[in-house]
Amino acid sequence: MMKAGVQNKLYYLLPVLSVLTLMIVWVILAAQDGSLIPTPYETLSRFLGIMANPISQATLPLHVWVSLRRVLLAFVAAILLGVSLGVMFGWNETFNSFIYPIFELLRPIPPIAWIPLVILWFGIGEFPKIFIVFIGSFMPIVLNTHSGITSIDPLLIKAGQALGANRTQLLFHVALPATIPAILAGIKTALSSGWMCVIAAEMIVAKQGVGFLIVRGQESGDTALIVTCMLVIGIVNAMISFTLTRLEGVLCPWQFGKTK
Amino acid sequence: MKNVDQKKIRSLFLSIVGLIIFFGFWEFAVRTGLVSGRSLSAPSDVVQTFIAKLTQSKPDGATVWQHFLTSFQLALSGFTLAVIIGVPLGLFMGYFKGMDLFMTPIFEIVRPIPPIAWIPIVILVLGIDMRAKMFIIFVSAFVPCVINSYLGIKLTSKTLINVARTFGASNWQIFTKVCIPSSLNMVFAGVRTSLGASWSTLVAAEMLASTRGLGYMIQMGRQLIRPDIIIVGMLTIGCTGAFLAYLLGLLEKKVAPWRYK
Repeated sequence: MMKAGVQNKLYYLLPVLSVLTLMIVWVILAAQDGSLIPTPYETLSRFLGIMANPISQATLPLHVWVSLRRVLLAFVAAILLGVSLGVMFGWNETFNSFIYPIFELLRPIPPIAWIPLVILWFGIGEFPKIFIVFIGSFMPIVLNTHSGITSIDPLLIKAGQALGANRTQLLFHVALPATIPAILAGIKTALSSGWMCVIAAEMIVAKQGVGFLIVRGQESGDTALIVTCMLVIGIVNAMISFTLTRLEGVLCPWQFGKTK
Repeated sequence: MKNVDQKKIRSLFLSIVGLIIFFGFWEFAVRTGLVSGRSLSAPSDVVQTFIAKLTQSKPDGATVWQHFLTSFQLALSGFTLAVIIGVPLGLFMGYFKGMDLFMTPIFEIVRPIPPIAWIPIVILVLGIDMRAKMFIIFVSAFVPCVINSYLGIKLTSKTLINVARTFGASNWQIFTKVCIPSSLNMVFAGVRTSLGASWSTLVAAEMLASTRGLGYMIQMGRQLIRPDIIIVGMLTIGCTGAFLAYLLGLLEKKVAPWRYK
């Protein structure tokens, strides 16, 4: 009993120890002679610096906002089109056999590989970046909606039919609500994939945005700026997935806690 | 029975018609100048460029085959390393509480940073050689391997563990004989995600800093305004990705066949 108590205390210490280890490794890596890696202190002061002094006419919050806006705009389009396409694939067999092969053909191409072609098509303005994010978030939403709607419990559909629902009612009152968890899972994947795509697109061509900022750091050898951007990108990503998990709890409470 | 066959034939027919219309329209749009040849090439041109690029190294410095081999080698080495380290780490983290408490916080801090965001710092520190790209691919493939192996162990049915314990299995036996087999499907799902992630991260890394590889090829295609080269590159990337995923599926059927029964 006594021993178990000590062990439990030790377990509480472990997470603290682990974060400490990470920090110590970072400091050691940074402290080496001629090391390019900035110390945590340098990173923090760079972070504060860029909050106040704009780079390319924007401070850090503005760069984050520019990137986020691209993701959000693309995302709204991806949800609208992706969910309707996924539902059509799952609900209408003729449409499915007609269009799905084309979709299947394009699917394995990573969204990032679209960047050069999209730049040729639309130049380097705002739209091409949104378009790339759209490609990146569209695919997971369609796939998840499709698999969600085809794997509904047939009992639900039959119950609906037995109660005299027509096909439209079945779709909107039975099939769609039952697909919400799958759609939400798709949305989660889509958002983090979209966030990655916007960073990639901005790294290749952009004048503003976090992806631009990180490449600026690379070009000027400003490693403190790079690490600051990496941390900011990570924090935004973590916040996005946190918000979505909360949203999942609100939209489909019966599912909450069951899936991770 | 006949009805089912008819349905299959109908759906196959529709699929073929759909694809023919897709390619037909694409060809038509480019040939009639509906879409400028500077922004899109007709499918027939793409096929021609692909055949030509098999032997020619102009204008981007290497044949498709050489680009492909460079990318393939890189992706596979980074990916293999990630699987070899990531899967056991995830399994141990899932089973041993101490490992879990110690590793999870570190992991949670590093995890949200997308692999692409590692590219600039890695290039500055390690240069643009093979090592740098391998590291980036490793990071991208490592995360899904660990997460899924970890979850796979955590999701092992408590009943199975209790049965094993009742029959007198030791901790280590439970881990190797019960938890690991039951987590295999999750592990494979993670490995599959890893494969996709490493392949797409590789393309990004090659687009940003490289002198050879499929990502470099499509980036050059953009600079030279040669949509045919870009599309050949995209299709090669897509086909390879799909083929690798298919191979992995075969392996899973061999190693963990119970999901398919």
